[in-house]
Amino acid sequence: MSLLRPYSKVPELITATVLLVENEEEFQSKLADAIVQHEKEFNVNVRLARKLPLPVENKETRPRIDLIVFIISLLSQRSLQSVEGSLAHLHSDCFLGKVCFLVTDARCGSHTQERLVRVRKLAASHQCPVLCAEHRTADGVIAASVRILNILKVSAGMSPIATTALYLSSLTRCSATSDLEED
Amino acid sequence: MDAQARSVLYRIIRRIPNRNIENLLKRWNCLSADQMRALDYTRPKWMIVEHVISFCEESRLGLKHVTNLEMIYRIENPDQGIWNACQLAEAQDDAVCVELTQFKEQFKAHLHGVIRHISIKMKKHEDEAIWIRIAWGDNFSKPNHLKPTYVVHHLHTSYVFISNLMAKHKIFLCQALVIATKHGSIKDGLLSTKSLNAMRDLLLRRYQQVFPNAHSRILQERNTLPSFPCIGKEHRDHEEIRHQMACEAFGHGAMPKLETAVYRLETRYKGNSNYTLSDKEEFFRGVVRFSSSSLLESLRHCVASGMAEGPVTPLLSAITQRGRNYFVITDKGPGVSSQASAQRA
Amino acid sequence: MADLSNLTGLVSEPSGESDSSASSASNRSLRLAEKQKRKGEADPFGVAVKFLSQVEAGTVVRGNDELERNIVVVETVAVSKGLSPEVITVLLDLALSLNAGTANCTRVLKFLIPATVVPQEAIVKGVSWLCVGKMPINAQVLFVRWVLTVFDLIDCKDNLRSIYGFIFSFVTEENLCPFICHLLYLLTMREQVHPYRVRKLLDIQAKMGRQPFLTQLLVLYKVFRPDLVMLSHPARVRTGFKNHNSTWKVALSAVQRKNKGAVLVDQSLSLDVKEKPSSRKRKLHHLAIPPLSSAFDSNSSKKAFRLQELRSFKELLENIHNIELPAQMGSLLGSALALHYLDCVQDESAFLRLNFWLGHSLQEEFLLCPVDGSSDNTSEACRFLSTILFSQQFLQEGFSSTESFLYKFLSVWDGSLLRPQILDLLSDIPLMPSFYMHKLLFEPLKQLYFTSTVFFKCSVIECLNSMLVKWLTWHSVSASEGGLDISLNSNSTMTMTLSGFMDSVMELVRFVGLLASEGLRLENCHILLLNQTLAFYETVCDMFLKYSLPLVIMPPAGVFYPALFATDSISVDRLGYIMYRYRKNLTLAKKQEQQREQTFHISRNTYKEFNRNLQAMVNSMWNSWWGIPGSDLEIDKDLIALSKVSEPWCRFDLIHHPALFSYAIEFHQRCWPERKDVDLGSIKTGKYWNWYMEFLFNQGFDGLNNFIQTNTGHGISCQDDRQPSSQT
Repeated sequence: MSLLRPYSKVPELITATVLLVENEEEFQSKLADAIVQHEKEFNVNVRLARKLPLPVENKETRPRIDLIVFIISLLSQRSLQSVEGSLAHLHSDCFLGKVCFLVTDARCGSHTQERLVRVRKLAASHQCPVLCAEHRTADGVIAASVRILNILKVSAGMSPIATTALYLSSLTRCSATSDLEED
Repeated sequence: MDAQARSVLYRIIRRIPNRNIENLLKRWNCLSADQMRALDYTRPKWMIVEHVISFCEESRLGLKHVTNLEMIYRIENPDQGIWNACQLAEAQDDAVCVELTQFKEQFKAHLHGVIRHISIKMKKHEDEAIWIRIAWGDNFSKPNHLKPTYVVHHLHTSYVFISNLMAKHKIFLCQALVIATKHGSIKDGLLSTKSLNAMRDLLLRRYQQVFPNAHSRILQERNTLPSFPCIGKEHRDHEEIRHQMACEAFGHGAMPKLETAVYRLETRYKGNSNYTLSDKEEFFRGVVRFSSSSLLESLRHCVASGMAEGPVTPLLSAITQRGRNYFVITDKGPGVSSQASAQRA
Repeated sequence: MADLSNLTGLVSEPSGESDSSASSASNRSLRLAEKQKRKGEADPFGVAVKFLSQVEAGTVVRGNDELERNIVVVETVAVSKGLSPEVITVLLDLALSLNAGTANCTRVLKFLIPATVVPQEAIVKGVSWLCVGKMPINAQVLFVRWVLTVFDLIDCKDNLRSIYGFIFSFVTEENLCPFICHLLYLLTMREQVHPYRVRKLLDIQAKMGRQPFLTQLLVLYKVFRPDLVMLSHPARVRTGFKNHNSTWKVALSAVQRKNKGAVLVDQSLSLDVKEKPSSRKRKLHHLAIPPLSSAFDSNSSKKAFRLQELRSFKELLENIHNIELPAQMGSLLGSALALHYLDCVQDESAFLRLNFWLGHSLQEEFLLCPVDGSSDNTSEACRFLSTILFSQQFLQEGFSSTESFLYKFLSVWDGSLLRPQILDLLSDIPLMPSFYMHKLLFEPLKQLYFTSTVFFKCSVIECLNSMLVKWLTWHSVSASEGGLDISLNSNSTMTMTLSGFMDSVMELVRFVGLLASEGLRLENCHILLLNQTLAFYETVCDMFLKYSLPLVIMPPAGVFYPALFATDSISVDRLGYIMYRYRKNLTLAKKQEQQREQTFHISRNTYKEFNRNLQAMVNSMWNSWWGIPGSDLEIDKDLIALSKVSEPWCRFDLIHHPALFSYAIEFHQRCWPERKDVDLGSIKTGKYWNWYMEFLFNQGFDGLNNFIQTNTGHGISCQDDRQPSSQT
C-alpha cells in the first residue's frame, strides 16, 4: 500500500498544492474554481480526488501535496465512511498540520448534528481542524476557499513570518467535543 | 344538454387553471365570439361552468361537442393518469400498408360489432398519432362518458399506449387493435408511467442513445476538462469510464421522464453454503421500487457520479434496453436477486 | 353581469378557490341569487346576514337553496373584505348551534375572517356551545383553532378569563387538548393557577406522556406559582406550540392587508422566509397575524389593555398594570414601547414566552435548514437578527435563547454567513463562568479565528472588546448597587461572586491575548489587526480606574513588541497611551493598597511585567539604549553587528523609529531648509530636542506625550532628566 507522504517531493517555486478529496464530487469543483480564482501571492495547484489512495499512474506528474482537505457532506453517511477509509492511506507526517476536514450541510437538522460530532471526534483523534462551509451559496463557497487558502499558505510554508503547519494546527485543531451539545 | 354532458363539461373545466380556460374554449370553436367575450375568467370555477353551460344550451350543443372538448383537452395534456404500453406482435405482411381510414373503419366496425352501446371517437394528432377515445357501455347501459379509455397509436409501429382501461374491456380493445393493425397478437408491454411522451420516447427510441464503442467519440463532447489548467483530477480516467458506462446504459442527453421502476422479487435465499433459510420451497417475496421525478436521469447520475460502484447491473439497464419498468425476478432469470440491492435513485 | 361589479374582484382572492368545491352544489342557487340581484336589490349582503341570523334549529339543510344562496353571498364578502364584529357573532352562533347542519358549521368557520376585531361575547357564546357537546369533534377542533388564530383580534379578554374554568375542563378531551392548552397558555394569569388545575394537568401528563403543549402550560404555571408546581422541567423546552392558523392564514392576511393598507408592512416583523411547501414542519407565516392598529371604541369598560394598541409612552404608563401580552410574542421585538414594557415590568412570564418563541424561531431558521438548499433568504434572516439585536441593545441585555442559539450556531458557522449580525449578537452574551466560556465560546471561536482572513480576525477582536466593555459596565453598575454577588441577567437568578467574575474577565483577556499575539504573527503584524488589538487593551488597561475592577492584566509580548516596533505612528501612539493608563491604574492600586491595606489581586508579577515593558519602551525610544538587563530580550551584540546597521541602539528612538522617522525628516527640513545632507543626529542637541518634542506632540500624539511626560518627567523646562522614574 502506497501512503501519501507530505515530504517525498521537492516543492515547486512559489507554488502550493492542495488536494481536495470528496466522494460525491459535488462541492469539490466549485471550491477548486473559487480557490484558483481568488487573488493571492502564490500559485496554487488544486488536485481533485474521490478518495485515497491516489492512482499510481499519476504519481510522477503529481506535485508535492501541501494540504489535504477532506470534504464531508453531513447528509450522507457514505461520505463520512469514505473519508474514514481514506485516512488510512496517509502517512502520519501528514497529520502534522497538513490535513483538514471541511464539512457541509452542518445546519440541516439533528441527524447531521450527530454526524458532526462523529466528524469532530475523528478530527480530534487525528489532531486536525474542522471547518464548516455553506456550499450552496456563492458567498459561502468563496468564504470556504479563502479559509482553505489561509491554511494552505501556512502549511506550504508561504507565511512570511515562519509559522509551521504544525504550529498552526496546534491552534486550530479540533478538541474532542464530548458534551458540548448539552447546553 | 343532459346531465351527463354537463358533468363531463364540469369535470374538464374543474381541472384546468382559470387562465387556460379561454384558450381551450377558443380551440374548441363551439362558442360564438360574443359568448366568448361575455365570459369572465377571474370568477370562481363554478360560475364559469354555469355560464358555459347556459351558452351551450343557447347554441344547442350536446354531448358530442363536449366529448370533443375533452379530447382536445386530453391531447394537449397527455400527462394525466397512468399510461400503459402494449406491444403488437406477429405482424402480417400487409401490416405496413395499413392506412388511417382503413384502420378507423376496421377498429370501429369490430368494436361496434361486439358491444352494442359504445362511443368511439378518433382524431389524428399533428405528430401522426391516432388518438382514440372510447366510452364503454354494455348491452344494457349507455356509454359511460365519465370514464373514457384513451388509446394512442402511431401507425406502423408496434406499440399502443392505453390509459384508463378496465380489465373487462381489455379483451375487446386488444382484439380490435390486433385486427385493425393487421397483427397476430398483442401483449402487455410491462411499462407504465404518467408521461405519455416519456413512454413514447423510450419505446420508439426517440432519445439520444450511446452504443458501446472502443474509441468513445461521444465522450469528447463532454467537457471533462476543468476550467483552469492548475486544477487536476486524480481520477479522471476512472470518471470517464464511468460516464461511458452510464451513457451506454441510459443514453446521452435528455432522457424520457420515467417516474418509477418496480422489481418484484420471487427468489429464494441462498447463503454461502447453499443453505436455504427455510426448507420449504416458498419464495421470498418482495418489491423493490425506485422512484424519482426523472428516474433514468437519476440512475445515470448514480452511475456516472460513482455512487453506484461497478458496472451497471443488467437489471437497471434493462429499463431502456427492453423498454420496461416492471420486472419479476425469479431464480432462473438473468438477474440475480442480490443485484437488486438497495441502491436508491 | 355588469351590475355585479360591487362584488367582482372579490373572487380573485387566493382563498376563493378553496371554497369553490364546497359550492358545487350551489350552482343553481347562485343563478337565482344573480337573478335577484338583477332586480336591483340594495344590499344583498345585509339581507343575507339577516336571513342567516333567523335560521332556526331543525331547518332542512339539504336542498335548501335559500340558505345556500345566502351563505354564498356572505362567504364571498367574508373572504374578500372580512366580516364586521356583529356579523361574526351571528355567523359563529349559526355555525356552532348546528342550526344549519354540521357541514355548514365547518364551512362557515372556515370563512369567518374578521375585518377588524372579534367580539369577546361571540367567543364566550361559542365556548358555551362547546359545552353543550353536540358538535362533532372535528368542528370543535376547528373552532378552537379559529379562536387561536384570531386571538390577537379579540377585543378584550376579561370575560373569556372568567370562563377559564370551563375552557380548562376541555383539556381532558384528547383531541382538543393541544389546542386548549395553547388557548389556556395565552389566557392564563396568576389568579387562574390553582392547585387542582396543576394536579389535573399532571394527571393528564401521566396519561399522555410529556407532550410539549402540556409542558409549556405547566412551565407557565410554574412561573406564576412556583410554590404549586414541583415539576422539574427540562432547562429548555425546545418546541413551543404549533401554529394552527393554516386554514385562515392566507385569507386573513389578505383581508388585513387590504383593510390596513401599507401601514402594517413595516410593523409586522415577518418571519415567513420559507414559502416552500416542501418543508412542511416549518412554521409558515409565524407572524402573519399583524398587530392591530385600527382604533375601536376604547371607552368600553374593558380591563386589560393590549400591547399592540399602545401608541404612546403615556398610554403605556397609564395602563402598565394591566397590559395583555399578544399571542405571538415575537411581535414585541420590533416595537420600542413593548420593549419598554418588558424592561420595566420585569414580567418573568413575558420573558419566558418571548424566549420560547425566539429560541424556536432561531432554531428553525438557522439550524434546521431545509435540505433542498433554498437558502436565498439572507436578507430576511439578516433583518430578523437585526431586530433581535435592536431589542437586545434596547434592553441592554441578551436574551437567554439567543445566547444558547449562538453557542450552537458557532460550532457550525462558516465564519462568513451573516457575520456582522452574529458577531454583534455574540458581543451581547452575558457573563458566564470561565469553565463554560472555554467550551462554548473560545474553542469554536479559536478554530474559526485562526483559519479565517485578517478581517474576520479584526472583527472577532472588536466583538470581544465590546463584550468585555459590556461585562465591565454591567459589573460597575451592579457593584455600585452593592454586594459582591452579581446577578448575571436581570431576569435570571444565577449569581456570581466577584472572584468568579474576575476569573471570567481574566480568561477573556487572556484568550484575546492569545488570539491577538498569534494572529499578529500569522498576519505579519497587520496594521488593522494591531489597532483592533490595541483598542482592546485600551479597555483592559483601564479596568481599575474606569470600572473599579481591581484587576490589571498586561498585554503579552506578542502584542507589546509588535506595537512598539510598528511602522505606523498611530499604533505607537496608542501603545504610549495604553502604557500611560496602565501606570495610572497601577499607581492608584498601589496607593489604595497602602492606605487601606487591602489585598488586591494585582500580583507582584504584574508590576514586574509592567516595569519590564516600561523599561523596554523608555530605553528604546528615549534612551537609545538596547536590551534590558536581566530579561530574556537581550540580543547578542555580535549578531546585530552582522546586520551592518549603523548605530543599532538608536534605531527605535523617537527620531529613528520607523513610525516617527518621517516626522523627524520633516522637522529637520524645517529647521535647516538649506542643508543638503540630512543629519538627524543634530536634532538631539540643545534646544532642537525640545522643539522636536513640541513638534511631535503637536502632530496629535497625545498618547506618546502623556507617556513621555509621566515617565520621563520631560517638560519643556527640564530637558536633561531622561531617567525613567517608574519604580512604582
